[in-house]
Amino acid sequence: MSPSSLRKSVEAVLSRRLLSDGGMAGRLGGPLHIDSTAWGVLALRASGGAHEVIEQLCTVLVREQHGDGRVCMNRANPASFWPTPLAVLAWQDSIASQVAQSRAVHFLLSTTGVHFPKQPTDPSAHDPNLKGWPWIEDTHSWVEPTALGVMALRVAGHGQHDRVREALRMILDRQLPHGGWNVGNTLVFGRELYPMPESTGAALVGLAGEVDQKQVARSIDYLQGEVDRIRTPISLGWSLLGLSAWDRWPANGLALVERCLANQGRYGGYDTSSLCLVALGALAGDSNAYSPLIQRRHSRPTSVAAAS
Amino acid sequence: MSDSTDQRPVNGLTRRQLLLAGAVGVAMGSGLLLVPKRLFRMPQHAETFVAKVADYQLDIADAITRGIRELGVRPEELRGKRILLKPNLVETASGAPHINTHPLVLRGAIEAFLRLGASAVMVAEGPGHRRDTLAVYEESGLADVLTEDRIPFHDLNYITGYDLPNAGRQSRLKTLTFPGLFQEVDWIVSVAKMKTHHWAGVTLSMKNLFGVMPGIYYGWPKNVLHHAGIENAILDINATLKPHFAIVDGIVGMEGDGPIMGDPKKVGVLVMGRNLAAVDATCCRIMGIDPYQVSYLERADNWLGPISERAIEQRGDLIASVRTNFNLIEAIPAHRGLRLT
Repeated sequence: MSPSSLRKSVEAVLSRRLLSDGGMAGRLGGPLHIDSTAWGVLALRASGGAHEVIEQLCTVLVREQHGDGRVCMNRANPASFWPTPLAVLAWQDSIASQVAQSRAVHFLLSTTGVHFPKQPTDPSAHDPNLKGWPWIEDTHSWVEPTALGVMALRVAGHGQHDRVREALRMILDRQLPHGGWNVGNTLVFGRELYPMPESTGAALVGLAGEVDQKQVARSIDYLQGEVDRIRTPISLGWSLLGLSAWDRWPANGLALVERCLANQGRYGGYDTSSLCLVALGALAGDSNAYSPLIQRRHSRPTSVAAAS
Repeated sequence: MSDSTDQRPVNGLTRRQLLLAGAVGVAMGSGLLLVPKRLFRMPQHAETFVAKVADYQLDIADAITRGIRELGVRPEELRGKRILLKPNLVETASGAPHINTHPLVLRGAIEAFLRLGASAVMVAEGPGHRRDTLAVYEESGLADVLTEDRIPFHDLNYITGYDLPNAGRQSRLKTLTFPGLFQEVDWIVSVAKMKTHHWAGVTLSMKNLFGVMPGIYYGWPKNVLHHAGIENAILDINATLKPHFAIVDGIVGMEGDGPIMGDPKKVGVLVMGRNLAAVDATCCRIMGIDPYQVSYLERADNWLGPISERAIEQRGDLIASVRTNFNLIEAIPAHRGLRLT
């Protein structure tokens, strides 16, 4: 698989999941999923997809946005606002979505998880007072939504905001002593928990360009040691993105992606978000290409640049 | 084996209940009503089945089939029905297969339900600790088994949900959101793992149902349920969902710092039943744990099911013949005082 054939393949696969009203199905033949719509924008933008299609998807995200700026899994469940940073990322470079993006940014900057001072008797080792973002309203902050929040606010020009700087400290605080991240617990009752590739990849993307490599060296080592055996799209996608963010994208990256895609039948097909994530991980192998998650100073999406 | 002395039922009430009943009389006389309603519930009865299964290579399907029959499940209850098996898949780690329900227990359950006339069996899980459900499915070995057996697997974390009013009303949650898939099945079976748990004391068939709550609405981990109170949420989910059957994999369980970091504990049993509270109480006794000291089980008693040994008709092998005390850790508050004496 070459990068150009990969780009065409991404467009072809995602075009079959486009819904008539402009959104993206969560699964082939399934109903609208907001996160899939946002991931679809990111994957299409990275693969040079059609500007009109991308704008249609952005419009659906705008349509689904709540008055306070949050973007949720569905309108009936406003607590599930974790797709908000994905929408901010998706709306980047969409001129028609700038107002919506500003509102979502404001929502993120004014929203935290549930936080509280650490107590000496607390069985969990991490600092619960460091603010990031939760998956769901009124719960604690966790690694992946916080990493996505950092990526979104950085892309939107708020990388130096206090909330982003604190979120970076929060992600570092949740790093496991032997390297890697999981959903966001380090030691509980004195036992170090296991790392997970998908959380590690997301954290590494969030921290890239912000902290010294020495601070995450063990985590990069962990992920490099894991990536060859990863067969599933969420773990592989985030792992490739995380390694790419630190210039460690593996030489056999496309072969790993091919193996992962070949496994689809075994799992009954991949959901759209997972496919987009693995596509983004695959496309991140070209360090000269635009990546909507990993900021590279020299790259811009050609289709959007031409349109604007 | 029996409950601790002050918990032994006397004429359907435990000694503590009788003492409290006396106390409430005094309290009523003084105009106070401080005793929880649960102490005055009507006694319930249930049956559980314990099967000795020394290792995973033995005929698990036969043991489960026998259990379902001996528990009085009638053929028409299963004939043509769609069965959803909910395993305990949490996360994976090299050398720690005892974290998750063993794939061969699921294979045995699938074979048993199909043998008894079910039209379809599927496996579905929404792991609480991993975003990548398929990774747990693959690395636990379950993907190999279900692919070979051509049984579908569903990621419950990512399925659009439907709301039900919270029938348990133990937490502040007014509604609970379950995966839409549940509206398409006839039986929901909790296929749990026999483990100690550092927050809840034990995790068995009732706690296993945390994994049915979609991550897209409850997060990773299912932190909405933690903030609602783990024990409250266990009771709310069970009261609202009303699962149909439970099978607990105690062939190799987990003791100590469960549900992830504990050590393997070979028990060599499967425990089954229609009533999850009764199944979990039986598991506790096998583990050398007093179910009345597990807070959520004590609260479930005679509401979601009986946990008194006298109220549970024991079928199959005797508890005493398989009891093996699980290691409890004194430094873990949820483990203190659990030991069955």
